[in-house]
Order: sequence, then structure tokens, then C-alpha cells
Amino acid sequence: MADIQLPHGTGAPSAKPFNPWPVVIFIILSILAVLFLAPTVGVLFSSIKTTKEIAFGRLWDFPTSVYWGNFADILSNPSVQGYFVNTLLITVPATVISITLGILNGYVFAKLPFRGSGILFLVIISGMFFPPQVILIPLFRLFNGLHLIDTLWSVIFIHIAMGIPICTLLMRNFFATVPNALREAAILEGASEWQVLTKIALPLSLPALAVLVTLQFTWIWNDFLWPLIFIQSDEKRTVMLGIVNLKGQYSVAWGVQGALSLLASLPTLIVFLFFQKYFIKGMTMGAVKG
Amino acid sequence: MAELVLNNIKKSFGDIEVIKGVDLKVSHGEFMVFVGPSGCGKSTMLRMISGLESVTEGSIHIDGADVTHEAPSKRQLAMVFQSYALFPHMTVEQNIGFGLKLAKLPKKEIEEKVAEVARVLKITDLLPRTPRQLSGGQRQRVAIGRSIIRHPKIFLFDEPLSNLDAALRVQMRLEILRLHTRLKTTMVYVTHDQVEAMTLADRIVVFNHGKIEQSGPPIELYNHPANIFVAGFIGAPAMNLIATTLSTDKQGTYIDLDGLRLPFNLKANAVDKMSVTFGIRSEHLEVCTNDSPDFQAQVEIIEDLGSESLLYLQTNFSTEPLTVRVSPENDYRTGQKIGIQVDKSKMHIFDTETGRNMS
Repeated sequence: MADIQLPHGTGAPSAKPFNPWPVVIFIILSILAVLFLAPTVGVLFSSIKTTKEIAFGRLWDFPTSVYWGNFADILSNPSVQGYFVNTLLITVPATVISITLGILNGYVFAKLPFRGSGILFLVIISGMFFPPQVILIPLFRLFNGLHLIDTLWSVIFIHIAMGIPICTLLMRNFFATVPNALREAAILEGASEWQVLTKIALPLSLPALAVLVTLQFTWIWNDFLWPLIFIQSDEKRTVMLGIVNLKGQYSVAWGVQGALSLLASLPTLIVFLFFQKYFIKGMTMGAVKG
Repeated sequence: MAELVLNNIKKSFGDIEVIKGVDLKVSHGEFMVFVGPSGCGKSTMLRMISGLESVTEGSIHIDGADVTHEAPSKRQLAMVFQSYALFPHMTVEQNIGFGLKLAKLPKKEIEEKVAEVARVLKITDLLPRTPRQLSGGQRQRVAIGRSIIRHPKIFLFDEPLSNLDAALRVQMRLEILRLHTRLKTTMVYVTHDQVEAMTLADRIVVFNHGKIEQSGPPIELYNHPANIFVAGFIGAPAMNLIATTLSTDKQGTYIDLDGLRLPFNLKANAVDKMSVTFGIRSEHLEVCTNDSPDFQAQVEIIEDLGSESLLYLQTNFSTEPLTVRVSPENDYRTGQKIGIQVDKSKMHIFDTETGRNMS
């Protein structure tokens, strides 16, 4: 019973039975990784190949030379530049406003509850459970009456409204973990409720904010449905509509679409990489007691 | 320095009344300790003084001014929390200077004041650290630093030592006392630890069920408890309390403990055969060396505490064991029969029904 096992088993072979699970898990994860990455690789390949190559069915062949023509086409196309500007004009204000409202709602629900606030919170959260398809037609009629159809405002408004429930839920739950004693200590030090929020609660909630910014930005940037419904003219189109719009009347411009898809995913990638460090920073921060 | 006056304070949460009318005056520079069991309302009382909790009825005055409906920040109080409540995302320096920064003091002045406070509390080395990198005692010192920097009129302490280990608690207790001696600021301190209350307080207020049971200097509470609750709560080990009945005859009032007649001169009106509780502290019972003890008892348990020993004795007249303090150099054994003498000048008689001290 007193056998001493040397590390890396330099002595007699150990009697430990072979454990197949790490290998099985590794294989499953590898297959999943390939499945998830395949479309991205396909898009990447299509963006650096000529339409002729793709038409001959050589999309999945490893590229022997890189064709930059698709990117050149995209970057010199004035419509594409417009698509990017439009998408930014929708995504940035919608993200900022929905998160700001979520922060204010979340703080009140977490730290300043009032009679009936629990019910009100549930009402706001229930907004998450309506699929877009259900509210599509009434919204179209409403926006039509307000003359908002074919404006960027329509998409901004809808994304703010759709973002409030998730932003409120996430911020409320995060603020709830900020100890009340911190708020009370700050108030006794002379802080107003606004200062408690901006100087104590928000800095402690950077991880939640980082998650929210990434989620909202990606979701709004990548949205296809709402611009498709509410935007009609080419000069107001977003990037996602633009990708579809690039296909020719009689042929499919795979290469150009692939190049625009790659460029269109860059902003979300940048947002993710930028906020990623706050995820880690937030997790290592101490609470009231260590 | 300030005077704090509480006028008939009441507090209800819904239908439950947790503070049932408290009147109290805390003088300039006094160290007042609120003590009582969990849920007695002492912390709620402190939070009402701070303004973090609203007052249902009554009024609070600081230096003559009615602050009952004043915002917490306007009351010029500082509070030290049990959980320290340091801001985890700020350094020690930023934590201590937080209030001054909110008051928009010049940066240079904040730095100077923080440095001064840090020097006084011997935490200068810790200034660049974050609370996470500090031990419990250091955190509490930073929390105290944050509260003294603004020169508040009154300090409020909400069980500040409860999260510390025993040795550190004793050390911090001394530091808080030193702080009070130097600052001479009015302090209100909440604790459930009666030793902390005895050692720190100029005056103790004993709370129970949302009411003040008794208030006074520690020794007065120890020697003259107003009722059974205070008698049992103040002092360690707790006072020996024995249920019995009062008797009266021509010679006066007395209780009879298994044949032992203990006479009393009662201040309150005594009724023959009324239920009373006899109270005597462990140091007022003495193991008898001569052969005429007041009563006989059997040693059940011996606790050696180093500086003294406690004997737990079985007697014929009490279901609970009696505690007796003896010198640590003793040779008592469990099961041994010993004679006990009662110090007749230190006896208490409480009315069992009302709890009131009748002696």
C-alpha cells in the first residue's frame, strides 16, 4: 500500500487503467471545431479566389495564389462605404442607449426597490419572450404611420426597445451582487445616488458591461431582419443587406460577397477583443471581504 | 464633538415594531456602546442615527438641530461597517480620500490629509494597495481612516470587530480606545459582545426586544443590574440565577435555599410566597475552608482558564449548575463535595414575573 509513484513513471509501469475519456472528448471537440470553422474558412477562401475558380468547383482547394481583386472591388465601391456608415449610425447609438437605459433600470431594481418594482421588473423582462416575427406587422404599420419607414431611426428605435429587457436583466443581476454596505458607505461619505452608480456600482460592474456591449454590438451589427423590413432605398442599407445586394442579377458574386462578409465581421471582432480584457479584470476583483 | 439626543424613537417594518420607543442622550465626547442579543434592534437604532434607515416615530437631534429627516450625508457622521465596506476597485489612498474628493477639495489638500491619517493609523505603506491585498485588521484600519479624515461630529461603529479573529479583536479594541482618547469625538458603538461593551464604553445601553433594558456605566450595570435580562447578559461567566420563592415572617423577608435562610432588605414591595429569582455572581460565592458552610455542593465540571478556574457545581436547590470562581492553584476533582459560602452583601433578588431587581 505504501508504493511511491514517481512522476512520469520512470520505474515499473503503473497499474493505472487506461482512461479513454480525455481522448474521446478531444476528438469530439476537434470535430466540433472543424464544423464551426468550416463556413468561416469557406468565406475566407471565396474572398481570395476568382469567380472563375469558384465556378469550377475549386472553392475548397487550398489556395495556391491570393487574389486581392474582390477586396479591391469592395473597397472602391461607394455603396459599400455607405453600408458601413449606415450600420455604424445604427449600431453605436442603439448599443449606447439600450445599455444606458439598462444600467438605470438595473440600478433602481437592484438598489432602490419600491412598491411594485418586482412586478414591473417582470413586465420589462417579459419583453424578451416576444419573437420579432410576432411584432413585425404591427410595428410596420406603426412606423408607417409615423413616417419612419426607410429611415435609420426605425432600426435604431427597434434595437433600443429590443435591447432594454436583456440589458435591464443583466445589469440588475450584477448590481445585486454589489454589497449594499458599499452603497451606504458611499452615501455616508457624501455621495449622491448618481455618484454611487457612477463611482461605485458601475466600475464594479465592468465585466457585465463588457458582456453587454459585446452582445448588443454584435447582435445589432449583424441584424438582417429589421433593416430588411424597414429599409428600402440603397443609400440607407446596412452591411448585412449590402452583402445580399451584391449578388448579380444572373450570377452569384461569391468572391465579392465573401470579401464583404469578412470586412463586415471585423468591427464585432474588434469590439470583442477590446472588451475581452475587462472580463478577466472583473473576475479578479475582490468584493467586500476577500 | 457633538451631543446626540434620541426622543421616543420608534421603528416598524410593516406590522412588526422593532424599536418600541427609545429615549437616550449621548453627551459630548462620550463613548456609548449599544449591546444586546441578535435582533434586539441595536443595529437598526444605529442605522436610524446615521440616516440610512428612516424613523417611524420620534426625533433625532445632533447638537440641538433636528436631523430626523436630514439626508445621511448632511448629518456629518462617519460609520465603520462590520464588512469594512471598502471600495474594492480603489486603492487604500483613494478609499480614504473618497469623501474629500466628493467634497471637491483640492487634490494637494486631499493628498496631505490622507498622508496624515495614514501616518496616525500606521498604514502609510498600504496606501497604493487595493483592499483585496490587505488582511482583516488592515482593512478595518483603512475603514477607520476613511471615517476619521472628514472630522465627523459623531462616529458610528456597527460591530466593527466581529469579522476579526480573537487576538486581533483585542488589539483593535485598544486602538479604538486610543483613537477615542485622542479625538475625544462622540462615538456610538454597536456590539453583541458584552466584553467589548464593558472594556470600551463610558456608558452601556442594553437593548432587548427593541427597548432599552438599562443604561449606565459598565460597572454600575455589572454591580446593580436593573433586571434579570441585564444580570444575565452583562458579565462572563453569567450571573448565577436560581428560581425560588420569597417568604416573610416577623424577622423580615428571606428566601429559603434547601434550608439555607438568606435574609433581604428589599426596596420594592414584597409579597409573601411570590416567585422570585435569586442572583449571585460567581466571584461572590466562595469555597468554604471552615466547617460551617452555607450549603454543600458537588463539583461537576472544572474549567481551567489559566488566570482563574471555574467550578460548575450541582446543588439540591438549582437545576442549572452554579458557577464559582476559584484560584487556578486548586486541587478540586470532579465529583468532590465542597462547602460554599455566600457573600451576603452582593446578593440580588429579581421579581420573576416582571424581571425587576427588588434588592
